[in-house]
Amino acid sequence: MATEERKKEILAKLRTAVIEYDEDSAKEGAQEALDEEIYANDAIFDGLVSGMQEVGRLFEAEEYFVPEMLMCADALYAGLDILKPHVEQLDLGVKGSVVIGTVEGDVHDIGKNIVKMMFDVAGFTVYDLGRDVPLDKFIDEQLRTDSELVCLSAMMTTTMVGMQKVIADLKKKNPNVKIMIGGAPVSGDIAEKWGADGYADDATNALADAIKMVSSLKQLKEEAEAKAKDNP
Amino acid sequence: MSKEKAMTETMTSRERVLKLFQGQATDRPPCFSGMGNVTTEGLNQLQYKFAKVHLDEFQMAETAVTTHKLFGFDACVVPFDLCAEAEALGAKINTYPDSEDLLYPTIKEKVIHSEDDMDITIPRDVSERGRVPLVCKAITLAKQALKDDVCIGSYVLGPFTLAGQIMELNDLLKLSFKKPDRVGKLLEALTCVIVAVAKAYEKAGVDYLTVREMGATSDVLSPRVFKNLILPHLKSIFEQISVPSVIHICGKTNDIVVPMMETGASAISVDQKNNVADTRKKLGDSALIFGNYDPYNVLVSGTPEQVKETMTKCLDDGVSAVWPGCDIWPTVPPENFKSMMETVREYRR
Repeated sequence: MATEERKKEILAKLRTAVIEYDEDSAKEGAQEALDEEIYANDAIFDGLVSGMQEVGRLFEAEEYFVPEMLMCADALYAGLDILKPHVEQLDLGVKGSVVIGTVEGDVHDIGKNIVKMMFDVAGFTVYDLGRDVPLDKFIDEQLRTDSELVCLSAMMTTTMVGMQKVIADLKKKNPNVKIMIGGAPVSGDIAEKWGADGYADDATNALADAIKMVSSLKQLKEEAEAKAKDNP
Repeated sequence: MSKEKAMTETMTSRERVLKLFQGQATDRPPCFSGMGNVTTEGLNQLQYKFAKVHLDEFQMAETAVTTHKLFGFDACVVPFDLCAEAEALGAKINTYPDSEDLLYPTIKEKVIHSEDDMDITIPRDVSERGRVPLVCKAITLAKQALKDDVCIGSYVLGPFTLAGQIMELNDLLKLSFKKPDRVGKLLEALTCVIVAVAKAYEKAGVDYLTVREMGATSDVLSPRVFKNLILPHLKSIFEQISVPSVIHICGKTNDIVVPMMETGASAISVDQKNNVADTRKKLGDSALIFGNYDPYNVLVSGTPEQVKETMTKCLDDGVSAVWPGCDIWPTVPPENFKSMMETVREYRR
């Protein structure tokens, strides 16, 4: 078991690897974390995700743009792939599965992939339908997997309109399903008008929202742990 | 209304748009676009299916002229989709022939599949491939249909946006950072394609051309990368276009309006995310700034009053012409389109 100091060092290495989009260093840090018996959950949340939070800040400050963010995401995945098999599943009282995809007529999937990454990090089961997805497929997949969250993405005004139909159909078939829409042309007004539960209009917001979601999971995790400590 | 029209309109749409590009005064602010503006009203009148109008020069031209005929829009633009150049380079497109929804064609098969494929050879007859000849015919047909009353516009993609269509955007973005020389070489090759297509459209009789480089928006790329990697190629394109020209970039653009002007385009086109009052200050009184209403959230889903407010604000902020931030979404309600046209007719500076 690593000392507290060594643990800090490894977590910092993972964080920096993501920020500086250094895939090799992320792999190394992840392996060191495992070798030295640091919890995979901690390495992910306090190392990789913490790095991604800083990337989000740099993006918002316009120091980083989409190319940098994509490279940071590659570094995060490089570490995550090593750590994931060792993650302890937490009972958070949420089912944690999500259907995600870019709507028919749209072949852009970068925003969708960034959001997907955060769900991967959070340990959700992600059913990724890819891009240019026929609208019915979202509904079929939600019913098949009984996922409680569906994320629809569209990059262009010309493709966004199809979302309206999917939202209505999904809500009709399963009123409890939560729907998040994302993409450049999407707005709070549209989300409300069409009955979506959340929206993100750019990569910053998508990342911020996804981080928020993951952070609240992290909080739940800490609460669950504290509870477990109190009632052994 | 007709009295108002008689009072304020002393030019044809064509004269108005041409004068605008020449930097001369117009009877009223022009209201037009360099991007797609087909409407469901027009399609329904002709009983054409959206998925088919991209594939037939007669249907394309007939549909394109309806927006002027129905609403008095100051221009007619073909084509309606963004795939012509990629198709000429061998990409396969999907027009969604079986869909009941309005879906624009997309690329279903890319040309470049890995970094190693990036050294593409451009066919000499690239402007005779794919649907480029079809669009040329549609330009000529539309011109015949509207005689000398209305300008015919068309558009080509910018080199970076075209690169994002013929290869994975993900890879292109990362390589533009990791290997800018490699990407620069590809952009140079694509510049030749774009110029060849633009020349073909000019020969067919187009009156003005818009270069759509939305892939280079500051939402995605840093202004620094825009200037270093993309601007030189855009300059080369505008140097070779002889008709009046527009550079269009959507999304965040306030930090790149100066280099957009430096491309050599006659005008810049920006969307609703641009603060036009700032842009006007930055570029001065004589610069042509087109924009910047939201073609969906205002023109399609707003009320006629909201349309009026938005168009008035665009003009108050200092646009040289009322012009949408993107393609006009076809289902625009006729009363909204009319409200837009009325607003520019009645506007007083």
